Amino acid sequence: MAYQGGPYSGNPYNPNQPGGYGGYPGAPGGYAPPSGYAPPPGAYAPQNSSVSSDVQKWFDMVDRDRSGKITAAELKLALVNGKGENFSDNACKLMISMFDHDASGTIDITEFEKLYGYINQWLAVFKTYDRDQSGHIEEQELSQAFTQMGFRFSPQFVEFLVKKCDPGNKKQISVDQFIVLCVQIQRFTEAFRARDTEQRGVITINFEDFLSVAIGCSI
Amino acid sequence: MAYQSGVPDQQFLWDIFRRVDKDGSGYISADELQMALSNGTWSPFNPETVRLMIGMFDRENRGTVSFQDFGALWKYVTDWQNCFRSFDTDNSGNIDKNELKTALTAFGYRLSDGIVDTLMRKFDRFGRGTILFDDFIQCSVILYTLTSAFKQYDTDMDGVITIHYEQFLSMVFALKI
Repeated sequence: MAYQGGPYSGNPYNPNQPGGYGGYPGAPGGYAPPSGYAPPPGAYAPQNSSVSSDVQKWFDMVDRDRSGKITAAELKLALVNGKGENFSDNACKLMISMFDHDASGTIDITEFEKLYGYINQWLAVFKTYDRDQSGHIEEQELSQAFTQMGFRFSPQFVEFLVKKCDPGNKKQISVDQFIVLCVQIQRFTEAFRARDTEQRGVITINFEDFLSVAIGCSI
Repeated sequence: MAYQSGVPDQQFLWDIFRRVDKDGSGYISADELQMALSNGTWSPFNPETVRLMIGMFDRENRGTVSFQDFGALWKYVTDWQNCFRSFDTDNSGNIDKNELKTALTAFGYRLSDGIVDTLMRKFDRFGRGTILFDDFIQCSVILYTLTSAFKQYDTDMDGVITIHYEQFLSMVFALKI
């Protein structure tokens, strides 16, 4: 149990820091120091106002109704996981909300450029853990992924997470589930850590605070 | 609960089941259920609520609902409908913050205005300051799940618990992924 020295520290899953930590988040050996997030080394320089033609091309493909904005529903139609299914509603909602800075429920092309980079990073991370290149991650691979990200979870907990993702009991995690899982764990861990002032791996929490974390941090 | 309906007869249920089961597979999928349900507006029924409900009544664990399980599901939806209507005191078809507060108090919760605000923000999918029928179900089910998880650890019932990291994570993962 517990996590000495804060195993969740330096976990680089932050949408505002694309490209940090040696290429992509979770890259083996590429963790930030426990003190927190290092600033991204010049990734996606904001002064560069024009987006690349690649991004423009993708944006036009995803923006089916040509509104100049992308909704979670449009994103869902554009993204397919290794099982041949569209990304889940949850995953698309989560990713839109991460980059939708004016809380409109949609993203424009500059926000999309960041999201595009973010998704590509996740795909790269996913591929490194999907060692047998099956297009999904098995329990064993997920467990290794968490360890490399700096989390120390018991086998029982990893099993619990896999069951949550995959009620059909095939024990396979698709890339969209993987993204949602990692982002959620990151958020909940930050909330836990903020209350675990002595870094003991134990918190005392009242009902309302518990509810506000559970509801506020979930998708 | 005070909103319980009687058990409908089999022929009646079978007629509904056949209409909902559009592809005639003998099972109702999440998509079929979503199309059959209405939240009182033209917007599609909350897919999360559909998933929650399928998950609750899908005893064969295949992500669909058979006719055997459909009776219980139908009753569940009807009970929620009655419950929702009873709290929608101005008959607007949706629930505002005050109505939500009344509903939650009637369910036995004592929550601060801050938490009620959080719930409103979370489950008001269209940002209108109101909660629709489908979102009301989702809100209630999630609140119930989280409260049950909390109560399990709160053995002395003082509203405060001390938990480990993994226990905490297991509790807050109330939603499916």
